[in-house]
Amino acid sequence: MRGLVCALLIAGTGVSAQTVTREEGMAAWERIFAAASHPRCTNCHVGAQEEPMWEGLSYGTGAVHGMGVKADESRIGAESMPCRACHITAAGRDVASPAAPQIDEAWQLAPVELDWLGTDSATLCAMLRDPDRNDGHDIAGLVEHLESSPFVAWGFAPGPGRSKPPGSVEDMARDVALWGAAGSPCE
Amino acid sequence: MKLTVNGKEHEVDVEDDMPLLWVLRDELGITGPKYGCGIAQCGACTVHVDGIAVRSCQLAAGDLEGEVTTIEGLGTPEAMHAVQAAWVEHQVAQCGYCQSGQIMQAASFLDLNAAPTDDQIDAAMSGNLCRCGSYPRIRAAVKTAARRLQGV
Repeated sequence: MRGLVCALLIAGTGVSAQTVTREEGMAAWERIFAAASHPRCTNCHVGAQEEPMWEGLSYGTGAVHGMGVKADESRIGAESMPCRACHITAAGRDVASPAAPQIDEAWQLAPVELDWLGTDSATLCAMLRDPDRNDGHDIAGLVEHLESSPFVAWGFAPGPGRSKPPGSVEDMARDVALWGAAGSPCE
Repeated sequence: MKLTVNGKEHEVDVEDDMPLLWVLRDELGITGPKYGCGIAQCGACTVHVDGIAVRSCQLAAGDLEGEVTTIEGLGTPEAMHAVQAAWVEHQVAQCGYCQSGQIMQAASFLDLNAAPTDDQIDAAMSGNLCRCGSYPRIRAAVKTAARRLQGV
């Protein structure tokens, strides 16, 4: 059954169904990590810390979000300054840095469980393949997140003045499916 | 497009991507919200959309959903909002340019968080810049307004 699910997953992401070797799975993971560890992802996958990051812009390594914002427990800053004060919910506005990005979803930080700012490849790999540690996502759930999240879509097309992770949404979704089909190898 | 500002409905003929701040100031003559930076870095243009503080320089007219409140609609000289009254009590303003944004931010903040900590006040207000440096009075006024709103 698991093999069938994987085959369907790969088919759904445009990859022809075949046996995926561990080596191919590891290669896919390396590409996944290259994107997931990019500041466009890690700036918001910051865990329990209250401040988003502003890396990958022009402020240098280790820069935290300006204006003293705190996402707080709500993860949307409801206890102090909501993200939406500046991050307008709107579709199709290609806002250049340093103005606040806009997407068609309420701006917010990733769930605390999905903290991987500064995490190494093996640790992140072990986290992402474990639904008990990745906010309940199986491989299909991870693929769906990548393909449907306005945050991920924006991350690969963040507008002028912001660096982009390597690849595309489609590449990353296909790699996650491949990695899953190979048994989610981490080393 | 139609929009409701301070309880009054307006119809304006503007481009879809005109910032709300321009609509308010140039089309409707509502000049309480101020232009400072145009990139959500200073807070001078802060208004409420359905009660939530929003930088009106960032919100395109075509994306507006909800009723807009500006400083002109928050209170009146005869019946000031608790935040406005606290601002007067503490004589917060110096040049005054940023103050409508400061007050709108504070009013929305206290509506969401009626009993804030000092750290939360600082976090809530730190996106609103004041070149005169009235921050200590802003913080004191927010604390006073919070107490009044709680009936203490």
